[in-house]
Amino acid sequence: MKSLASLAVLLVALPAAAQVTFEQLRDAPQRNGNWSTYSGGYNGWRHSALDQITRANAGKLKVKWVHQMPTTHLVETTPLVVNGVMYVSEPPSNVVALDAETGAKYWRYARVLPPRINTCCGQVNRGVAVLGDRVFVGTVDAHLVSLDAKTGAVLWDVEVADYRNGYSVTVAPLVVKDMVICGIAGGEYGIRGFLDAYDAKTGKRRWRHWTIPEPGQPGSESWSGNSWKTGGGSTWVTGSYDAAQNLIIWGTGNPSPDWNGDSRLGDNLYSDSAIALDADTGARKWHFQFVPHDLHDWDAVQVPVLVDDEWQGSPRKLVYWAHRNGFYYVLDRETGKFLMGKAFATQTWAKGLDAHGRPIRLPNIDPTPEGTYVWPGVQGATNWYSPSYSPKTKLFYLAVWENRSVYRKGEQEYTPGNRYIGSVPMIDLPDDPGHGAIRALNPKTGDKVWEYRLHTKPWAGVLSTGGQLVFGGSDEGYAFALDAESGKEVWRMNTGGVIRANPITYLSKGSQVVAVAAGSSIFTFELAK
Amino acid sequence: MKSLPYIFSAVSLLAQNEAVRNPLTSPDDVSAGAKTFRSHCGPCHGLNAEGGRGPNLAAGIFYHGETDAALLKNISDGISGTEMPGLFYSPDRVWQVVAYIRSLNSASGAKPSGNSGRGETVFQEKKCTQCHRVAGEGGRLGPDLTLIGGTRSLNHLRQAVLDPNADVRQRYWVVNAATRSGTPQSGFLMNEDTYSVQFIDMAEQLHSIQKTDLSKFSVDKTSKMPSFKALLTERELEDLVAYLWSLRPKERER
Repeated sequence: MKSLASLAVLLVALPAAAQVTFEQLRDAPQRNGNWSTYSGGYNGWRHSALDQITRANAGKLKVKWVHQMPTTHLVETTPLVVNGVMYVSEPPSNVVALDAETGAKYWRYARVLPPRINTCCGQVNRGVAVLGDRVFVGTVDAHLVSLDAKTGAVLWDVEVADYRNGYSVTVAPLVVKDMVICGIAGGEYGIRGFLDAYDAKTGKRRWRHWTIPEPGQPGSESWSGNSWKTGGGSTWVTGSYDAAQNLIIWGTGNPSPDWNGDSRLGDNLYSDSAIALDADTGARKWHFQFVPHDLHDWDAVQVPVLVDDEWQGSPRKLVYWAHRNGFYYVLDRETGKFLMGKAFATQTWAKGLDAHGRPIRLPNIDPTPEGTYVWPGVQGATNWYSPSYSPKTKLFYLAVWENRSVYRKGEQEYTPGNRYIGSVPMIDLPDDPGHGAIRALNPKTGDKVWEYRLHTKPWAGVLSTGGQLVFGGSDEGYAFALDAESGKEVWRMNTGGVIRANPITYLSKGSQVVAVAAGSSIFTFELAK
Repeated sequence: MKSLPYIFSAVSLLAQNEAVRNPLTSPDDVSAGAKTFRSHCGPCHGLNAEGGRGPNLAAGIFYHGETDAALLKNISDGISGTEMPGLFYSPDRVWQVVAYIRSLNSASGAKPSGNSGRGETVFQEKKCTQCHRVAGEGGRLGPDLTLIGGTRSLNHLRQAVLDPNADVRQRYWVVNAATRSGTPQSGFLMNEDTYSVQFIDMAEQLHSIQKTDLSKFSVDKTSKMPSFKALLTERELEDLVAYLWSLRPKERER
């Protein structure tokens, strides 16, 4: 009878052990060495207090294990680690659960996709979300799927939008309360963007917030004709959540078509904006538009970094935001009010920002049929890959591109499910490819504190840790660790594949591990014993 | 949007039938195709399809299938294993792009005016083989020309002989470096990352050096090849271009 009793205990105890509650996500997303949301917490910091790996010993980092994905697609995923299990999305839209200690596989969800998928820039996926015993993943055929965290079995599968009209889901969802917040991609297909909330248990949609208003709604006056119907404003990078205000803060993408604005005269609200939504209703509380009437594809798809700190002598709720357009911003998190802005990379399109944060545009920067040279290039001075904020150094870290593009203006005919972009800019100029860097900014001033220069332009995010390290990666295939205070390199390793993903860190059997996707693999690193 | 699945299956059906011919070949179709091409294909294939990051499409040579059906499929779906993405447009718009590309091929279908046999002699006499290799014979420092006629227009070939600096690929930039002990190092850049550089020196030796081991390092983006403008008669030039143009994959057996 004793064994039966312990079995009963086991049966009761196991589900509890695997459970992640909203309260844990909110208050202790890294409890027990977990990494349980995309950015490692609702504040968007991508920071961990773990401090076993330090500036002094990081030189002893070595590969712990590697998980190779059966995929030929680009890997942009951020893994999650919950109680010893790593949940990884594999592009296009699969999920695998691994033993976080060994990399051994528990299960894989392999999605069957229709033959034609409309994604602008690869059939990618940036990660999953977890709540309770469930894992949530968005798919490139624009569904949101709930999986059993123990087995990978499908619990529900709902259509977010019709993929045949250019909609896809590449974003890692964000769990807020008992809801799964899910964004949409398709800004190169003339979608009308939105942010959705789904009941985590049933998959029923709770609310939809359209990022592009319809006639009569506030902001609709910023669209000429019927252009709002195909106005873009996607939501393809995971936002943040301010629990105290119950506000979801999320970035929106470019207006459509990207490089020809003739059909969409006006500011094109709420494209290229930070939007703050009531988590329960999806109603917009405030917004800040970084690029009114964008003609350069400078999405506001950066992770909002939420910090409570002193601002000019009094405590204030702030948002730090380094935007694709080359400017770093500080916003008031209660009102969206612009507090300051400063260029963090070379830019040739704006004289500066006015008192409201609106760019003061320079002449001759718009795309033309012949092509216009503008800094930053079309992929921005930074992009979707995550920045990091360390409460220890109080510095803001990010990957930066120093480059320009030739912006061309072309046709802009809309047909459903087809690209709607108005030409294609030259991203890499053959004789002037530009370069990259990891930079640390003073978040109060936007001043550069240090730089770690890279020969090529990085597509990888950064992670800061309690060990006073900043982890990053490059297209050259190197994973590296920098001194968070000086930017000095303390470790690097050639993974042999491009790193186009964000690093995380977690504890496995009491020891700190760093993980990042490289090539088509997940690499994990630990200190040599 | 209910019609979309039918469009998709229509493309696959069309593409499966190799005998399908482009139904849209009017001058209006060609000019509509040109517009689509400039917006969507030009960034890689060049505004006039002369090639760039992507291959020259004006030469009438298509390595992934030359039938109308193959072009329709490759433009619609992309070519897996390459950087070529799908256009995902309705067949009508893709057919117009096919019509535009075909119009270039007929315009550029003019054969070179020179004699390729004599051009081969010019190629040998002017010692092009010191740096260039054709079918395994010749030097390794300049581009291998075994298939060059298949990927370059006549104008581009002529320009490359007369003005090599007009288009220098990164692979032919020149590394000028010196080691910490003062030994000079020079060669053609093969690869560079943040920490190291790889190049082939003038004696065809491969080098991979950490930048921290170098006291001097710069990259010269001008071509090492001299201009042959003053070294060739008009006829020799046209013969040489004809020879280079003839360097292409053999016609496939049908």
